[in-house]
Amino acid sequence: MTALLELAGVRKCYGERTLLDLDSVRIDTAGAYALTGINGSGKSTLMRILCGLEPASVASSHWKGAPIRWSPYSGLLRQSVVYVHQHPVLFSVQVAANVGYGLRVRGVAQPQLQARVHEALQWAGIGHLPGAAVRNLSGGEVQRVALARAKVLEPDLLLLDEPTSNLDGAAREQVLALIASLVGSGRSVVMACHDRDLINLPGVQRWKLRDGKLETKP
Amino acid sequence: MGVLHATGEALTLALSGDAALLAIIGVSLRTTLVSLVMAFPLAVAAGYWLATTRSPARAVCIWLVQTALSLPTVLIGLLLYLLLSRAGPLGNLQWLFTQPGIVAGQMLIGLPLMSALTLHSVQAVDRRIAETAIILGAGRARTAVTVLFEARFGIVAALVHGFGRVVSEVGCALMVGGNIAGETRTITTAIALETSKGEFAQGIALGLVLITIALVVNAALLLLQGQARHVPAGAA
Repeated sequence: MTALLELAGVRKCYGERTLLDLDSVRIDTAGAYALTGINGSGKSTLMRILCGLEPASVASSHWKGAPIRWSPYSGLLRQSVVYVHQHPVLFSVQVAANVGYGLRVRGVAQPQLQARVHEALQWAGIGHLPGAAVRNLSGGEVQRVALARAKVLEPDLLLLDEPTSNLDGAAREQVLALIASLVGSGRSVVMACHDRDLINLPGVQRWKLRDGKLETKP
Repeated sequence: MGVLHATGEALTLALSGDAALLAIIGVSLRTTLVSLVMAFPLAVAAGYWLATTRSPARAVCIWLVQTALSLPTVLIGLLLYLLLSRAGPLGNLQWLFTQPGIVAGQMLIGLPLMSALTLHSVQAVDRRIAETAIILGAGRARTAVTVLFEARFGIVAALVHGFGRVVSEVGCALMVGGNIAGETRTITTAIALETSKGEFAQGIALGLVLITIALVVNAALLLLQGQARHVPAGAA
C-alpha cells in the first residue's frame, strides 16, 4: 500500500512538557485508523497537527512520496485534509450553505456545487434539511452536516475527532453508518475515538497513544 | 422663559423647515456620515486584527485603543487643533474650521470605540469558526469574512454606537470646526451656542432633532437584528 502522508520526528511540547514525541507517523492511501489513548494523551493534538491547525516540530514530511515543507495552514493541507471537530461548529447560515462552503471557497461553479451538495445531503440522510437553520438541528444532525461538509470536498485525508462521543441512540447509529461508508471508500480516514464500534470497523488499524509515543497495531 | 413655552416654540421651529435649522442638521449629518463611512471599515479591520493577531504589539495596541475611549472629545479637538493650525504639522491641509477638519476629528473619536466593540465581538465568536473555515480551504481573507459574518450583530452595534458617539460629540467639533454658521455649525455646537445666548427654543428644537435621529438609527438597528434572525441562505 502506498503512503499518503509520512511524517518523521514529530514533537509537540508545551513549555517544559513534551506531549508528543513520535518517531514516525505513516498514513496509507485509503487506509483507516482508530487513534485511541486515555484522555489527555494527545489524540486531538495529533489530529490538529495532521491538519495543520497545531504547530509542531516535524523533522521530515512526505506527501504521496514527495518531500514537502511542513507548515501549519499550508495550501496543500487546506486542499487535501479535512478535520471534523469533536463538537463540530456550523456557520450561522442554512444547512446547504454550510455543506457547500468549501466548494464555494474552491470556486466550484454553482450548478455543480448544488448537485454535489444535494448528493452529500442525501448521503448523510439530511436531504430534507437544506434550508434548515442550524440552530434548530439536533446534535446528531449537526454531526451529519459536518460529515457531509467534509465528504463533499472529497479530501485525500479525513480526520474525525471523537465523532460519536456526544451522541447516543439512533443518532449514534446513523453517524456510525456514515463513517463505515467512508472507511474503505478510497480515502484515508483517521478517527480519534474510544468507541468500540468504530475501532472494530472492518479494515481499521489501531493506533494507541501512550506516554507521548504512538503504538501501531494491525 | 418657561420650559413649556420654550419647548412649544422649539416644536414650531423644528416643524417649520427653518433654513438655518436645516443647514445645521445638514452639516451634522454630512460630517457624521462621511466620517463613519471612512472610519467604519478601518475600525472593523483594526478590531479584527486586534482580536486575531499574535503580534507582540497586540497588548500595547489594545491598551492604546481602550485608553482612547476615555479621552474627552475636547482633548481630541485640542490635539487636532494643534495639528491643523497654520503652524502645525498638518497646517498645509487648511482643514481648520472646515468640515474636513470636523470629519477628521469625528473619525478619531469614532475609530477607537468601533474598533474596541469589533474586537470584543470577534473575540466572542467561537474559535472553531475560524478553524473550520481554514480546514475547509478558506484563505486569510475568506476566513476573516466568515468570522466577521458570525460577529455581525456586534459589528452593527459598533456602527450604531459609533454613530451615536460621533453625532453627539461637541468638544472636538467646536474646537476644530469653529461653529461657523452654514459651514461648520453642527447640531451639538449650535445647542451649546444658543443655550449660552439664552435662545432656548432653538437649542431644544435641535435637541429634539438629535433625539429623533437617535430613535431612527436605533430603530434601524432593531430592524436589522430582526432580519438577521432569519438565517441567510449562504452569506458566510
